[in-house]
Amino acid sequence: MDRLIYLYGLIPRKEEGQQPLPPLKGFDGTDNLYTIPIGDITAVVCQLDPEKYSEESIKERVNDDMEWLQEKAFHHHETVMALSKIFTVIPLKFCTLYKNPDSLKRAVQSNRSNMLYTFDLIAGHEEWNLKMYCNDQLLKKQVSGSNPVIEAKREEISQLSKGKQFFEKKKLDKLIESQLEEEKNKISENIHLHLKELARKGDVKKAWSAAATARKEDMAWNGVYLVEKSKVERFLEQIQQYEKELRENGWQLEASGPWPAYHFSSFS
Amino acid sequence: MSLRETIENKEIALIDILDVILDKGVALKADLVISIAGVDLVYLDLRLLIASVESLVQAQQVNGKTVSSEQFNREREELADATGQPIEWEN
Repeated sequence: MDRLIYLYGLIPRKEEGQQPLPPLKGFDGTDNLYTIPIGDITAVVCQLDPEKYSEESIKERVNDDMEWLQEKAFHHHETVMALSKIFTVIPLKFCTLYKNPDSLKRAVQSNRSNMLYTFDLIAGHEEWNLKMYCNDQLLKKQVSGSNPVIEAKREEISQLSKGKQFFEKKKLDKLIESQLEEEKNKISENIHLHLKELARKGDVKKAWSAAATARKEDMAWNGVYLVEKSKVERFLEQIQQYEKELRENGWQLEASGPWPAYHFSSFS
Repeated sequence: MSLRETIENKEIALIDILDVILDKGVALKADLVISIAGVDLVYLDLRLLIASVESLVQAQQVNGKTVSSEQFNREREELADATGQPIEWEN
């Protein structure tokens, strides 16, 4: 039985000629990574024992063994990160496995033109992530204190009888909530659009719930940007500027990066 | 230090890594398909594990006691027994 091939990333073959692959340990911590040339593309891989790493056994560990997942997720990330410091890398998803080199070669060859296009897109660029959080209480005070729609409604309610006031106040709370969401989106989107102008590309990812991040507040925005290396400092300064302006209104902006270009080299 | 270096040197949270390596990355047709039940679910499981350890530490701090490492390890083992999850880390 062939050894399995774990694929970390793809690099332009000409870059491999300029700089050798550094010694990096593979997924099971024993063998080193090595390269498989496939035409003008080079695959960076390691081998795995198919008996230890069957589809079933990996699935089981991913779903039941959080510590294993954590360790291997960090391994995958750190390995691809190390590669991306040296080469232009198309990073692969966690646990992309092939049964033998031929199967890997076929998969790469059938996507060759997509990959060459992606190398061109991401070369000399970095991927950056921005997560924005907002303390609803602070913003709510502002919204409910300065919003003309809400002001008018409040005025209207004060003229009503006590019984009616109760229900109308409930409705008003709902109105404030929806105005708050609108306000949050407006602020986030403005920042996003401006950052997108400073980047080559920008996208919106799914925002996380408070339960997942263990924060008090839901994530208001999760943005990802492909930024030219020479423009990264300017890009981050802009984020810092926004953070300063918005902090007193309860906003927190968290940038992370540089990431291998996971988001922007995805094609399928 | 540039802003870039400051951010680059920050410790990366696991959620950020999962957000990236499970969610995206090239979906090149692979022989073994490892489908993962939504990143938020995976992460939620993990949070519960971490949070249970954290709240143990915090509870001790609130009580104003210094936790000896033996005591901490003992409680950690109890917690591991209780949750049925092995908790190990390097010292």
